[in-house]
Amino acid sequence: MLPTSIISMPAEREAKPSLRRLQVVWIALTLAALALFAADLQISAPSPGAVLKALAMGFARPDFAALENLRQALLLTLTVAFGGVAIGAVAGFAMALLWGWRAVRMLSLSLRSVHELIWALFIMTVTGPEPIAAVLALALSYSGIFAKVFGEILDEADPRPRDALPGRGMTLSGLIYARLVPSLPAFWSYFCYRIECGIRSSAVLGFVGLPTLGFELDTLFKQGRYDGAAAVLLLIYALILSQSLWLRRRLVPLYVLGALAYLASLSQGPVSAAGLWQLIGVDMVPAPLRGADPGAAGTWRAFGDWLWRLVSHEVLPGAWATVLVSYLAFVLCGIIALFAFPLIVPALAGRIGSGFGHVVLVILRSTPEYMLVFVGVQVFGPSMLPAVLALGLHNGAIIAHLIGREATRIVPGLRPDRPKGAGLYAYELVPRVSSGLIAYLFYRGEIILRESMILGILGIATLGFYVDSAIATLRFDRAAVLVVAMMLLTALVDWGSRALRRRLRVGAASTRPYC
Amino acid sequence: MEFRLNRRQLVGGLAAAAALAPLASRAAEVLRFSAIPDEDATKLMGRFTKVAEYLSDKLGVPVEFVPVKSYPAAVVAFRNDQIQLAWFGGLSGVQARLALPGSVAIAQGEEDARFVSYFIANKATGLTEGPDFPMAAKGRSFTFGAKTSTSGRLMPEYEIRRNTGVAPEEFFSRVGFSGDHTKTVELVQSGAYEIGAVNFTAYDDMVAKGQVDPAEVPVIWRTPAYPDYNFTLRGDADEKFGAGFTERLTTAILGMDDPEILGAFPRSRFIAASNADYQPIEEVARQLDLLD
Amino acid sequence: MIELRGQTLSYGPAVVLENVTLTIRQGERVALLGRSGAGKSTLLAAIREKAMVAGKEVALVPQDNALVPQLSLFHNVHMGRLHRHSALYNLVTLLRPFRRDRAEVSELTRELGLEPPVDQPVERLSGGQRQRTAVARAIHGGGEVLLADEPVSALDEKQAPEVLATLISRFPTSVISLHDVGLAQAYCTRLVGLKDRRIIFDMPAGEQNAADIDHLYAR
Repeated sequence: MLPTSIISMPAEREAKPSLRRLQVVWIALTLAALALFAADLQISAPSPGAVLKALAMGFARPDFAALENLRQALLLTLTVAFGGVAIGAVAGFAMALLWGWRAVRMLSLSLRSVHELIWALFIMTVTGPEPIAAVLALALSYSGIFAKVFGEILDEADPRPRDALPGRGMTLSGLIYARLVPSLPAFWSYFCYRIECGIRSSAVLGFVGLPTLGFELDTLFKQGRYDGAAAVLLLIYALILSQSLWLRRRLVPLYVLGALAYLASLSQGPVSAAGLWQLIGVDMVPAPLRGADPGAAGTWRAFGDWLWRLVSHEVLPGAWATVLVSYLAFVLCGIIALFAFPLIVPALAGRIGSGFGHVVLVILRSTPEYMLVFVGVQVFGPSMLPAVLALGLHNGAIIAHLIGREATRIVPGLRPDRPKGAGLYAYELVPRVSSGLIAYLFYRGEIILRESMILGILGIATLGFYVDSAIATLRFDRAAVLVVAMMLLTALVDWGSRALRRRLRVGAASTRPYC
Repeated sequence: MEFRLNRRQLVGGLAAAAALAPLASRAAEVLRFSAIPDEDATKLMGRFTKVAEYLSDKLGVPVEFVPVKSYPAAVVAFRNDQIQLAWFGGLSGVQARLALPGSVAIAQGEEDARFVSYFIANKATGLTEGPDFPMAAKGRSFTFGAKTSTSGRLMPEYEIRRNTGVAPEEFFSRVGFSGDHTKTVELVQSGAYEIGAVNFTAYDDMVAKGQVDPAEVPVIWRTPAYPDYNFTLRGDADEKFGAGFTERLTTAILGMDDPEILGAFPRSRFIAASNADYQPIEEVARQLDLLD
Repeated sequence: MIELRGQTLSYGPAVVLENVTLTIRQGERVALLGRSGAGKSTLLAAIREKAMVAGKEVALVPQDNALVPQLSLFHNVHMGRLHRHSALYNLVTLLRPFRRDRAEVSELTRELGLEPPVDQPVERLSGGQRQRTAVARAIHGGGEVLLADEPVSALDEKQAPEVLATLISRFPTSVISLHDVGLAQAYCTRLVGLKDRRIIFDMPAGEQNAADIDHLYAR
């Protein structure tokens, strides 16, 4: 279901990597080595082997009896995914039509730079741990993504038909006939593809207490019932890997309608406007300003103290940990992609080897990264280690898959007397795929950053940890400041990565491949 | 021109959202109640489904137990009237009653009037129980329970600061939050953390049921006593369920004598409680910056 | 009616035509001649700009047809007339065309020799059929001035004159770029030759001699 053309690249993509690029790689590795010292990478669990073994035993004998109780969780995982993504798409579409407005682009960036898990933490405080919270969280986060992609699709639409109309087609009808209609297939294709992502996101939302599959996985793991947990994981794999069988585009509208109807039929505790107002109008107002006299100098001094305390005690340490985790995962991801892509190139790994390589990469890339980190924390104990490993492996596997496919396509076109083995890898393939690799790496970098923020919920001291703590103590004002910090950090990193990409002359990978 | 279309689309989006709004409707007066998830889910379900049956029987009102995944979720559900009654910890009870003025602590376990936390250690540390705060634990790894647990976080942190004069992160090499008491015991038993702070009833219960070997995970210190768990009810319960409901509910709770139900908490019996009983908890929470 | 006076026209950074002075009068049928790259399309774009500023209703047949491939033949033709209907009317038409409109468009496409049914998506049409669709769109839209850029280049010797004649007959004034001098002389009233970034001749049809034409197309 992936769109075929994924990367836009400058003309010199066939050239060998320039010296400058290699220099940057060295600098990146040196920085990573320094970061290793700063990061907390202890294995705090004394016997990770034992947990791994118990988990492996669980996989050897998964307890499918547990699945009996999973029917509801499974149904909700799917309906939440379809409902949330559909609402997000409608809202994103509306924003995309106004993509020319700076305010809309900022709104879209803010919505998508905050992970759906964080949105869920807020929404749950109004709705309770109900499916509607999961639907809205998914819709909020995805509407930002849809707005961006739909906006780009509209921008890329052929301008000529509209321009050829009387008055250059500057009417509503002109927009609909000449711009929207030609973009619909691309919208639809992206929407269907996003559904796949939505299913994973929906499952993961269970980890914060919403009634999807993640909830069951979390509970079973915490009870040490690895056989049951293995069954849930296998179910999630089955769901994700069988998508091509049941997630037919023709059926998607039916699924969406069915999901919305089902969700609407669920009973739900009272959601009052008062509860929402309490959250936004009272709880999220910084404590020193609540009911204070805005004219008094003391009010603003108290607010300044409050803000500074929050920034110095939570925002800065959280941002630093977030940057460390993401950076290390980013470098690891690049290393893994570079060394793992030959696994699926038959000319390098052999036919059987590449089949096996595909299986490894499929498992790594179809497990939601949050679940990988969760399992890692169970095995290694809470430190940055499982976070870096899991994020690096998952994203590295995705890039290795994309690059490996490209390399496989390249091989038959090479000269007949091409080198084999290491020579083929180092001289023919790596130089040819390096631009693509870097482009993908930058794109995954943004996702790594977004994910590493929320890993705080698992006890790793990134920004998400402080958001979780603030919400645990019901201080939504602090949580709101921390969320703004997340948005700013995302924007900052986005800006930096764009500047670096420009200097490296690497094109942007489109935002479309993989969740 | 584009603007006109967008308005229209925005309206479409709002309409879709409005289509979901009927979710907010709800039937009949059911007393929904919940509890902070201080132990793993199976234990909680076992404990509270029986309580729900008992209360429903005594009060003649349908009673439904709503499990939640986190401490703040319980508090917020209470404030938002998604639940009307809750079995809170000391701190979450204070949070709830501050968030919803008028709500009242109506009952506590006999043990809750004089609750303590245990500091437990992995056998490999070689630490043993003593009457004073275990200063020898300095530099080791340590886990609390949930972030807003009274017995797993608030009072242990208070005691650590009082006895060592520094924050937990400075005294210990690493500080974590396990999430609940069961998990704390497991993590210390496995050695993931060398030391942990745990609710004494949860630990004693696990020992009694053979789920943990006290030789492997010995208690090394008991904190001074403090007030903890309580049943808290919304202030508007009488309007909703009929005059005198608060009193009837309190009587029903205090009258629980089925050893099976009491054993599930585990409490020997329930006694009356009042908001004032928890004043010390509120003060400690303010000191530790867990309340504004 | 439309007047360019001493204008320099560029396409991107490259200057295409220098110091162009050209006046199009009501009722004229002007042919723009010249080798490809001589600046015919650029000149047409400049004329369109002027005409629109002057508030004229302009119908366009662009060189690349500029159709919406996903839409049907009918809808592409209807697009010429979008500005004459309300947005609601057009939206309904997008979902289900009105019978009257359909009949009118069918009639027009028949006249232009387009055989496929009007609900055929344009992406399934041949090159010549697409070009006639673009012509039909311009005719259906109507207007005071027709600006057409090689409107019959993809048609055979028999169809080209018929379609060109139909097209020209529907507009009081037209400016058409053509590469076929014979067609230009047969159907236009005035011929303008472009070469070396300027207009090298501008005279009534039939007054050119063979040398003018040879010079126009010489390297």
